[in-house]
Amino acid sequence: MKKQRWLRPARIIISLLFLGGFLLVFSDVKAKLPSEITLFFTSFQFLPSILKFSHLPGIIASGFILILLLTILSGRIYCSTFCPLGIIMDILGYFKRKLPVKGKRRKYKKPLNFIRYPILGLAIVSLFFTGIIALNLLDPYANFGRIASTIYQPVFIAVNNLLSKILIGLEIYSVHPLTEKIFQPLPFFGGLTILLTIVLMVVVRDRLYCNTICPVGAILGLLSKVSFLKIKISSTSCTRCGLCQSSCKANCINIKELKVDETRCISCFNCIDVCEESSIAYEIVWKNKAVKTTKTDSSKRSFIKAGLVFLGAYPVLAKAGEVQEDSHPKRYCTRGPISPPGSQSIQHLKDHCIGCQLCISVCPSRVLQPAFLEYGFTGMMLPRLDNKVGFCNFECTKCGEVCPSGAIVPLTTIEKKTTQIGTVQFRQRLCIVESEGTACGSCSEHCPTQAVYMVPYKNDLTIPEVNPDICVGCGACEHACPVIEPHPAIYVYPNDTHQKALEPVTEKVEVETTEEFPF
Amino acid sequence: MKRREFIYRSVAASVASGALFTMGRWNTLMASGTNLSLPFDLVAVKNGRPAEMFDKGIAALGGMKNFVKPNQTVVIKPNIGWDSGPERAANTNPELVGHIVKHCLNAGAKKVTVFDNTCDEWTRCYKNSGIEKAVKDNGGQMVTGKMKNHYHPVDITRGVSLKKNKVHELILESDVFINVPVLKNHGGATMSLTMKNLMGAVWDRRYYHANDLHQCIADFATYCKPDLNVIDGFRVLKKNGPRGVSVNDVATMKYQILSTDMVAADTAATKVFGIETDRVGHIGIAEKMGVGTTDLDSLNIKRISI
Repeated sequence: MKKQRWLRPARIIISLLFLGGFLLVFSDVKAKLPSEITLFFTSFQFLPSILKFSHLPGIIASGFILILLLTILSGRIYCSTFCPLGIIMDILGYFKRKLPVKGKRRKYKKPLNFIRYPILGLAIVSLFFTGIIALNLLDPYANFGRIASTIYQPVFIAVNNLLSKILIGLEIYSVHPLTEKIFQPLPFFGGLTILLTIVLMVVVRDRLYCNTICPVGAILGLLSKVSFLKIKISSTSCTRCGLCQSSCKANCINIKELKVDETRCISCFNCIDVCEESSIAYEIVWKNKAVKTTKTDSSKRSFIKAGLVFLGAYPVLAKAGEVQEDSHPKRYCTRGPISPPGSQSIQHLKDHCIGCQLCISVCPSRVLQPAFLEYGFTGMMLPRLDNKVGFCNFECTKCGEVCPSGAIVPLTTIEKKTTQIGTVQFRQRLCIVESEGTACGSCSEHCPTQAVYMVPYKNDLTIPEVNPDICVGCGACEHACPVIEPHPAIYVYPNDTHQKALEPVTEKVEVETTEEFPF
Repeated sequence: MKRREFIYRSVAASVASGALFTMGRWNTLMASGTNLSLPFDLVAVKNGRPAEMFDKGIAALGGMKNFVKPNQTVVIKPNIGWDSGPERAANTNPELVGHIVKHCLNAGAKKVTVFDNTCDEWTRCYKNSGIEKAVKDNGGQMVTGKMKNHYHPVDITRGVSLKKNKVHELILESDVFINVPVLKNHGGATMSLTMKNLMGAVWDRRYYHANDLHQCIADFATYCKPDLNVIDGFRVLKKNGPRGVSVNDVATMKYQILSTDMVAADTAATKVFGIETDRVGHIGIAEKMGVGTTDLDSLNIKRISI
């Protein structure tokens, strides 16, 4: 048998390119990267792609079909090559082996199916009761996104700002500092918890997460049973030296029986690389004895059932649960979270957002912030507009363009400008103009549609007046309002289901031109 | 860091002590080396392209060499507050800003920087206003106005309502400061002109709005006196300012006003706009505080029609 030397290096190069791409995507603090590039990297992610396909079917959303086909053809290539969390685990594993403390040699381990499939089942079942929160917490890409957004991005910004500072000291202004508020405790500790969990799991067993917790790994693993290309050990030339077994990150090579557990094999090709006899190879297996056995695989069956129910119910589920219109007055203190333009409704967002933090990471005005409990427990880490931090830039459509799961539907600039995510509320008694008797107009100044406009008031002053029909809810007025206590005199009250704002009507100004100077 | 702070503090202190000895014209920290007698107090140009009008206007003032000496550093502060294109007239005309950069470099400036503490997201403002490109094409450098650590505390000794604020280090450090506002209507301050434009040079604008906007604008004008003000009245936002809703709010008026006196320049601009100067509170307050004069008849004005 000829040794397939190129497989492992190819896998490593492609995976590093993908990781580089993902880091680039999460470094795009000022939304400079074309959205197509961002989508290229994220569209191969399994869960977001399914979610996007459920209501925005199309080529970009078909990434999961590609992954499924790839898995049928060649096993869990996705897990070792395209999954950013998997690549991170490989890198952590690499450093683990470089440590002076020698761990035990890797051995074959029995699959922890009693954890793996119930978790998958629970994640799917919980869909019917709590929405996609359980999948969110387990999805590898979403977890990578949380780590990238809360830990990698602040480090990137800090390094960029330091570099900028040094260069500005040398009077070179080519590197702009990015933003100042880089450290936010709550999201940071959330991201750190995830990272430490991953590190711990890598220390215990390299790909423990992928073969025990990860629902995507479980699904692709089941599918790998029928894939054409598989790792196969030749019983004739194998000397049972065990090198392959100890190189296996998934602990899935059983050297005693010369078997590879294909549900756990992530096609990393480490085994092929280390085999001195070239007796382990990646080859087409037309007939799979394991499939032919009459013994029924109950876990697989339950998976297929659950999977079919899931796929069938998903579109219905997505549409279900319309939010009731509230009748209470639109008070500041009782308002809920404001969801990003394009997310259609809070329900739509909760049904489709996996909380990967990508929109939050690329929002140039930083108005998008991760929710804690604003959307309720099942809405943790979902994007919400925080008008204390900033306001939604009228011309910007970035969040919808990059959203990999279609939770934020892409809007054209024209659509965005009439998408009403909330409406303006004005409390005149709090307004500076009334309480202090001095000019302000900060709100009207920032309003892109003049839904807030100034009308004559006492003593030559002007005071805001509002026209909620043309308000888009961008929050510029609220952000700019100088009143802080007890709350801004002007604020946005969210539309739980987004509405369409009327377009502002303006008349062309007429100016008489005179030949003479007016002074 | 300590050294820097020391320098800023001592600069502020020297300004404060300088104030005691300065009669009449108030010289601020950056008005160094441009003690000149200009041929005119105010130049108004009309009916040309922005760059063309600036060429005529600055020539009437004796050329840029009267303001920028070789090897000096220049900061230009246009209005780049909004994420909108030049046709919307919410920001200063990019052609004009680029052209001023070119004039400064031709006069021998060592470095020309441009910034604004924008309202909308700054990278989008810089790009979509066209100013970033115009400045870079002409050899200038864009600097962010959105980093708090670039702003340093100053005392506004003559301020009534605004006594302290943080000012961008480029304003504090540069040898020459050219203020280039766009002439426009303003919902809060009635008009946005030279003195209002200085709000983009400070960190804390919220304080202005909460503590008598017009008084604060005038207070800061007592502290910060640009070496040259150029009001861009090529396209004028006649209503719904300072941001505007659509091009319907814009009139092409093709004016430009150049002056070292902010009050005089703003007064002339209100007349171009067609509003009584009295209605713009901060102009009157600034005059009373000795920033400049609204009495245009007392000034030596050059009027150029192209």
